[in-house]
Amino acid sequence: MRLAYWMYEGTAHHGVGRITNSMRGVHAVFHAPQGDDYVTTIFTMLERTPGFPRMTTSVVNGNDLIRGTIRLPETLKQVAEAHKPELIVVVASCSTILLQENLEITANSVGLDCDIVIYDANPYRMQETGAADGLFTELVKKYATTQPLTAQPSVNILGPSSLGFHARHDLISLRRIMKALGVEVNVVAPWGASVDDLRRLPAAWLTIAPYRELGTQAAKYLQEQFGTATLLEAPIGVQPTLRWLEALVAGLNARGEQAGVATKVTMPPLTAFSLDGMSAPSNVPWFARTADMESFAGKSAFVFGDATHTVGMTKFLADELGMPIVGAGTYLLKEAAWVREQLADYVKPEDFLATDEFQQVAERIAELRPELVCGTQMERHTGRRHGLNVMVISQPTHIENHLLAYRPFLGFDGADVIADEVYTTCTLGMEKHLIDMFGDAGLDEVEQAPSVASNGHAASNGHSADPAQVAQPALAAAGAGATAVVNPVWTPEAEATLKKVPFFVRNKARGNIEKYARERGIATITAEVFLAGKEHLGA
Amino acid sequence: MPPKAQFIREDGLYHSFCGLVSVGWLYQKIKDSFFLILGTHTCAHLLQNTLGVMIFARPRFAVSLLEEGDLSAAQPSIAEQIEEIKREHKPSVIFLLSSCTPEVMKVEFEGLAHSVSTAETPVLFVPASGLDFTFSQSEDSVLQALLPFCPKAPPEDKRVVFLGSVNDAIGDDFLLEAQKLGIPVAGFLPANHFHELPPIGPGTIIAPLQPFLPKVANLLMNERGATILSSLFPFGPDGCRAFWEDLAAHFGLKVDLAEREAQAWARISEHTALLKDKKVFFASDTLLELPLARFARAAGANVVECSTPHINRRFHARELERLEGVRLVEQANFERQLRSMADDQPDLVISNIITANPLTGHGIVAKWGTEFIFSPIHGWAGVNTLVGLFTRVMRRRAKLDTIALDPVWTAGVMPSMPEGEFKL
Repeated sequence: MRLAYWMYEGTAHHGVGRITNSMRGVHAVFHAPQGDDYVTTIFTMLERTPGFPRMTTSVVNGNDLIRGTIRLPETLKQVAEAHKPELIVVVASCSTILLQENLEITANSVGLDCDIVIYDANPYRMQETGAADGLFTELVKKYATTQPLTAQPSVNILGPSSLGFHARHDLISLRRIMKALGVEVNVVAPWGASVDDLRRLPAAWLTIAPYRELGTQAAKYLQEQFGTATLLEAPIGVQPTLRWLEALVAGLNARGEQAGVATKVTMPPLTAFSLDGMSAPSNVPWFARTADMESFAGKSAFVFGDATHTVGMTKFLADELGMPIVGAGTYLLKEAAWVREQLADYVKPEDFLATDEFQQVAERIAELRPELVCGTQMERHTGRRHGLNVMVISQPTHIENHLLAYRPFLGFDGADVIADEVYTTCTLGMEKHLIDMFGDAGLDEVEQAPSVASNGHAASNGHSADPAQVAQPALAAAGAGATAVVNPVWTPEAEATLKKVPFFVRNKARGNIEKYARERGIATITAEVFLAGKEHLGA
Repeated sequence: MPPKAQFIREDGLYHSFCGLVSVGWLYQKIKDSFFLILGTHTCAHLLQNTLGVMIFARPRFAVSLLEEGDLSAAQPSIAEQIEEIKREHKPSVIFLLSSCTPEVMKVEFEGLAHSVSTAETPVLFVPASGLDFTFSQSEDSVLQALLPFCPKAPPEDKRVVFLGSVNDAIGDDFLLEAQKLGIPVAGFLPANHFHELPPIGPGTIIAPLQPFLPKVANLLMNERGATILSSLFPFGPDGCRAFWEDLAAHFGLKVDLAEREAQAWARISEHTALLKDKKVFFASDTLLELPLARFARAAGANVVECSTPHINRRFHARELERLEGVRLVEQANFERQLRSMADDQPDLVISNIITANPLTGHGIVAKWGTEFIFSPIHGWAGVNTLVGLFTRVMRRRAKLDTIALDPVWTAGVMPSMPEGEFKL
């Protein structure tokens, strides 16, 4: 047992809802207490759904437990009558699973016309991602049927789903790419797919499954079972998109050849991928080389999120914008090995973080004070508390990440969106030079923000707001193995020297100097210690 | 005795929140408290999604997370966590809330709370599981747990205690109003701090401010011999008049607030003109539904249905009298409600937050009921806010053009949207 204040992944129940709320004619029935229906709010409010999400709670209450009443058959009848689904997915909840009822027998006793799947999602072993991918794979296995390939080159797009991070935008981006290539989209799933669409999956020449979290397993199954080629990379950034396009074209043509079809896919001129069909497909390559992006060479970034976006963003920032990566990690512990391997050339092993406890991530961010934090909504809160620049690159999201305009992360369009977001999130170039050169440049009043934020952080860890102690949690997180932690004291003259450091890096400088002093057993930071430390740290 | 109120009980409400969400306002109300929920990932997910505020500040609530290995334990061990909470938050009182899974596991909560409770920091068991409690109902459980800590007032101490959590501004309003009418006040249950709980005894008049507290009211009567004010709840001009006149009568004061009520109605006449003869359908889950529907009816609206999670014949007696002839439903069936809405074609649906957007997508003018819980709608000072919550959405909708109902404007928004499902 542990004390939980906040969690990255939703429940298995939520993962099931994400699949059924993505599909047409599929309905989830949760055998659960009434309170479990809160998950419906996440769909109706975050996605602002104009329809009712395809999920019904078959209520289990205290009296039912005492009397042994099970309302599931009645609920199934009502759902079948009101919604006429082709498939009902029945799931137990974290409490009802302990009752060890046989839902299969109960559900089948109703004798409904539609299919019923009892999805065995153990909420104590599965979370949102695992449950969603598990259910989707199970449905693909259940329905995909052997059939001839489409006459023209075609793809399936697996992975876009309800509440997927910018999923709808990514799907538009991928559809635009397919259009430019002259490749048909056979089936998109689970987004908007019916049971019948799942049956038609094997008609595609190739399956695109860009998200490690959802769709990869199903794509692999289609390959094993029906020989459908797969493309499992996520085209995040310009170079990855170019490589992805090459692989896509090669994969489609190989599949066509194998099937004895003469039609070939050829790469159109790259301008065909632009919005107007006559411009650069992305502005990132030129933008990255312009004078005002020069300053990004020194801006450090920390990336934390799910597997797909952490890997894609880290590579993009390093390879295409030339930013130093000071740390990266994921909360998807099952994917941590893959992420680590993908980022082996980008992040030192000690800078890699695999944890689902947000406090650890917060401590790392506080310690690093990077100039850009890419994370989930939790890292956005952490960043705001510390006065850092943050962009959200992964679930879990907040309502403010559900914007109206076209904001894909995938493809050429996605590269432009990401670069814009990085650019507007970071402190800009010339402005930064001026502040570096002249210190506060009249911005001293802004200092309130970071200092209040640090105090808040210290308070939340149960420490006093003494600025000299602010760095303490960070040290504890670093787990330096130090038994007795001494907090160096600053002399007034050293404080005055620190004041001359630009405000937005002042806290970072304070932390670094204190670390320097601690490592050397220096209890009092004088102006001399400060200067020696600064020289030692090369800043 | 008035004739027994007629209402329909259906087979279950499911678009609702469980009792744990009460924590959202109670931890802020009782400023030196901590709320520990013994629960699962589901409880944590519920709280972070419904009470997103927790990550902005230093939350005084957390979930003691039952994981797979804990399921086989006879009695979970929370001692270490209680110590951690005391160390980090230094609360005066810790509420230990139950949830569905430990209820199914038959965790013996009273004993668990007792085993970690000390005189210095009491740990109080609060039943709140979604198996039995909806939304605001668990405030009732919290107040029951607090009752033993209210000092016993001697019989001659004849004062009023206001029951139910309200914010300080509303609290001040009620204090001033009581003062003006010459009604002596002993305090509020809950108070802002654990050690400020009011004395309660046989002379105490309990004046309920919130309609979701029938059990603690009953307990106050049985255990302390207090008298429970039976009146309307203080919402709207009609409710306030009845509330204060009836309360004053308990102190032998004859007060006529007819003029005050008329003035209050006059001040909101612009709103009531808009509500007049409008068909209003209550389908929310906050347990404020009965008094809100009574107010809407008094304001001239035609209340076509008032569904609410629970109706208590005694605690809600006076509200029920005023709602005679209205279709009252307890534990409403949602599919049936949709059919009724299609038949009734209401002008306004007071819904829960879960269904507000989908109802709107179906051409309904929907106002989510949760906002009534989080707005200062009590007392004379709350009248304007109260009526505004009803009319704001209607006024705003009247200003927007009607093209939004054409399916083309929601195409692609929701992947599972069936074709043609746009009108109830």
